[in-house]
Amino acid sequence: MSTPTAAVSPTLTRLAEERATGVLVRDHGALYLSDGQVVHAESPAAPGLDVLLIAGGRLGRTGWDDAVARAGARREVGRFLVDSGQVTGGELELCHLAALHDAAFFTLGPAGGPTRFRYGVAHWMGSIRPVPAADVAREASRRRGLLEALWPYPGVDTAPLRPAPASPGASRRQRALLALADGVRTPPAIARVIGRPAFNTLVEVRRMAAAGLVETPPDPACTPRARLPDWVPDFSDDPDIALLRRLRDALEASL
Amino acid sequence: MPGIDECLLQAMVVPGARGATIVDWTSGLALGAIGESPGGDVEATAAETAEMARMATEYRSFSPQAAQPPGEAPARQGTGAKGLPVEDVIVTTSSGYHVMRFVETTFDSSVFLHLWLDRDTGNLALARLRLADIAERLVLA
Repeated sequence: MSTPTAAVSPTLTRLAEERATGVLVRDHGALYLSDGQVVHAESPAAPGLDVLLIAGGRLGRTGWDDAVARAGARREVGRFLVDSGQVTGGELELCHLAALHDAAFFTLGPAGGPTRFRYGVAHWMGSIRPVPAADVAREASRRRGLLEALWPYPGVDTAPLRPAPASPGASRRQRALLALADGVRTPPAIARVIGRPAFNTLVEVRRMAAAGLVETPPDPACTPRARLPDWVPDFSDDPDIALLRRLRDALEASL
Repeated sequence: MPGIDECLLQAMVVPGARGATIVDWTSGLALGAIGESPGGDVEATAAETAEMARMATEYRSFSPQAAQPPGEAPARQGTGAKGLPVEDVIVTTSSGYHVMRFVETTFDSSVFLHLWLDRDTGNLALARLRLADIAERLVLA
């Protein structure tokens, strides 16, 4: 890809150059670096490795908790999971890379707030398959471009998933998402239930929105806000006294 | 403990192998790569092969349950992806072969192995069998 690697976060580039070890924290997540390479990433928007492995039934919650309890202190949870035969090396690498790039995508987002770095911090997961920081940054920016190219309405990413009245053309993996759309769950929430990376879920959601399979909510940033008619602001902004009285009476009666 | 790199190395031992990658076909991400890449750009190749693989899995014509009415196809969730709809996608060109083998995992994933072979030294039937074996060993103990 021709995107300049430095565009996403100059701090990350600098940390990679100085082969820093520690954690980079922004508003939407954290990247753990070891010797300038990204070894782990976490974001509240992205299901963690535990969610991905447990939702599919590959691993039990107790197996995970046990691994964290026994190998967390020496920061070798990943290795412990493999050595104790709970997952294979290939599975762990595939799943962990998916989780890493997923969390990095949200962490390195454009409105991610200030970037802070704390030197010397290591994650208890341990090193599984380090990724060069430049690769992580480039992938995050490629992902943003991909979503934009699929359907340039970011509103679908965070609104509750609402299937359009008739959605017959959905693929197998899309139907799995639609089956969990209850009018409340947002795409990241569905990703968590199904144990699929949030970005992969967003890709499917944008594709479905582009195909008319799910509704695209009106984007407040894109639609010019209609001006209120002049008589509206003239209304008194006093609260409804009668309603408040009734509420008070009801509350008193229930005490 | 076979991992991504071991599997890629095994793929390169297949006669005629020029390059191999492991790709997530939903995101288009190359999870690992070895050897050459057509056009010299691993990421571009990953994105293109991902699109190809995705289409193969989504078209109803290629689905083993094609005879079922569309509404009755079970939505699989939480039980792993047992029984992938497509095993592999094969493209032959005048100078090479491309074999894309889907990897079946117990967790929700969309991963395939892509092996690029030289037309003269590669054996398509052999490569397909070897790649199937490698894809299975990637996730099995």
